Amino acid sequence: MRILLVEDDRLLGDGLQAGLTQAGYAVDWLRDGEAAVTALSTESFAAVVLDLGLPKRDGLSVLQWLRGRHDATPVLILTARDQLEDKVRGLDLGADDYVLKPFDLDEITARLRALVRRAHGRPEPVLAVGEIELNPAARSVTRGGQAVELTPREFDLLHLLLENTDRVLTRRTLEEQLYTWNEAVDSNALEVHIHHLRKKLGNDLIRTVRGVGYMVPAGATP
Amino acid sequence: MSRPYSLRRRLVWLLTGSVAAIWLLSALVVYQRAHHEADELLDDQLTQVADTLLAIVAAGEVEHFAKELQDHSHHNPVPIAFEVWHDDDGRMLRLATSMGHAGFESGIGPGFSERQYEGARWRFYAVQDPDAEYRVVVGQAHAAREGLAREIGLSLLIPAALALPLMALAVWWGIGRNLRPVDTVAHQVGALDVQALTPLDESPALPEEIAPLRTALNALIRRVNEAFENERRFTADAAHELRTPLAALKVQTQVALRAQTADSQQHALAQVIVGVDRMTHLVEQLLTLARVDPATQGSPPAPLDPAEIVATVCEELLPQAQRQGQTLTVDAAAGCRIAITAAWLQVAVRNLLDNAVHYAGEGARIDVHIAHRETGCAITVADDGPGVAPALRSQLSARFVRGEVENEGCGLGLSIVARIAALSHAQLELGDGLPRADGGHGFAATLHFSAPAAPT
Repeated sequence: MRILLVEDDRLLGDGLQAGLTQAGYAVDWLRDGEAAVTALSTESFAAVVLDLGLPKRDGLSVLQWLRGRHDATPVLILTARDQLEDKVRGLDLGADDYVLKPFDLDEITARLRALVRRAHGRPEPVLAVGEIELNPAARSVTRGGQAVELTPREFDLLHLLLENTDRVLTRRTLEEQLYTWNEAVDSNALEVHIHHLRKKLGNDLIRTVRGVGYMVPAGATP
Repeated sequence: MSRPYSLRRRLVWLLTGSVAAIWLLSALVVYQRAHHEADELLDDQLTQVADTLLAIVAAGEVEHFAKELQDHSHHNPVPIAFEVWHDDDGRMLRLATSMGHAGFESGIGPGFSERQYEGARWRFYAVQDPDAEYRVVVGQAHAAREGLAREIGLSLLIPAALALPLMALAVWWGIGRNLRPVDTVAHQVGALDVQALTPLDESPALPEEIAPLRTALNALIRRVNEAFENERRFTADAAHELRTPLAALKVQTQVALRAQTADSQQHALAQVIVGVDRMTHLVEQLLTLARVDPATQGSPPAPLDPAEIVATVCEELLPQAQRQGQTLTVDAAAGCRIAITAAWLQVAVRNLLDNAVHYAGEGARIDVHIAHRETGCAITVADDGPGVAPALRSQLSARFVRGEVENEGCGLGLSIVARIAALSHAQLELGDGLPRADGGHGFAATLHFSAPAAPT
């Protein structure tokens, strides 16, 4: 799950990037509003963690710009301002959630999971197709009640596919969502991960759409 | 607090009092004028009567005339008494007198004279014919003249006495009515909300005597609001500045606790140390800002020579500058005197120099100048670093505003210098620094101190 983190404070940004990466997210960290706008206009992210006091372009202005182009990417605002009017303004401009500094890393990850879930119109916290169940909070996968061991990358790939059942995800989309700019991607890495997932979860779950990408049908019965 | 008084009562007393005094004075003048006029008029009357009587007696009609006059006087009393005398070979005989007349005293000289007669003051006029054969004396009680004058005087005073209370009422009402705008302003001020001070509505027209009050109040309200807004912004900024490093510390600590590899744990812990150092610096700067308070200063500081303090600060920061390959030169003019608390000057110079060392970059040149200017001494810290855009300079001394460079400063250094400058009657000027090889300029901060007052 790829997250855009926009935070100008070097120490906090570094910590959040490390913490969110530990939690299984692919995190791209930018330090000013202009750069955030550029990144958001060219790439897609599962969610944006946005600080308000940013150099070059204020966080609220970035948010306004994002919503102005009808981009529904979930936005979690980080702020030190605890005045009610600040919160109201942030939410009114289209923020999905609001966290006051200092915060707990677990709170951020929980809120991000909830945001991503809601963005896919899914009320229940666990994703399920057939007898496969994926729990994003626990980062665990079961098959017929039996725990399945997945690597972090395999888990993220499965998560993406289950979050978008019945939709074909292109190689490019999958790579964008799985890897940050800093990670070198082998040309066949995706095929390797898909191969491992099929081996662990059965061949019928993930379908290959030739020349386009991969998809998981909602009614798949692996 | 002195006792409150009513403007209205005062004005009513003042106005009615002075009008009453003016009326009284004018009545007095009129009375005197009337008295004088009455004198002239009645004197004319006296001489006419006397001359007529003399003419009559000289024509030998005196007996007939006296009888006629007596008959007439029975019906119409004449306010003038008279006696007619005849010189009969040296013996003065009284030929005729007016009604009810007891006889004047003898020896009333010719022309006008005044004397007592029957217990009152009278005015007399005596005349005789050229042969001194007949002599006529006419007289009139003085009271008649005074009565006339008094009547004229009173005719002025009585309406005034009646009009005075009316006037007082009108003044009372008029003042009350015209002072109503003061009530309006008082109501507006009374209705102000302390939490959200809004300037008074300037649309109701006010008399030009009261309008300045409202203008001044509004100016005050705007200043108070500005101060409020400053404090509010400071609180919000301080919240941001304190909470962000706290958030960073917490997140880094959690990352360290969950780290899977020793490397990432080391990194996170090292970041925790950096965060604590930053917090320490911030807290120290905040405490310094709080300490730079006029209340802690006590008596006005004695003038001092800044050279020694500047030298001390330069020594402190020299190692750090040298580590970055910077050259630091000090040029101190002798005999400068500045009236400032020594500790404050040290903080101000250290912050300026600290900024230069931090932001001028590797290998920069930093010059510290102490110079005599026309108005007093000036301390300048100039560098040939990247400089600061003129548009940004004016904001730099605001609290928590940082330059555009990548830095970990807390944005309070120049605010502290600005505060010290304001409390020490100095001006902080931010401008172009030393020229760079590429034609641009570095950054310079100058403190212009005014010359200390001569000791008295």
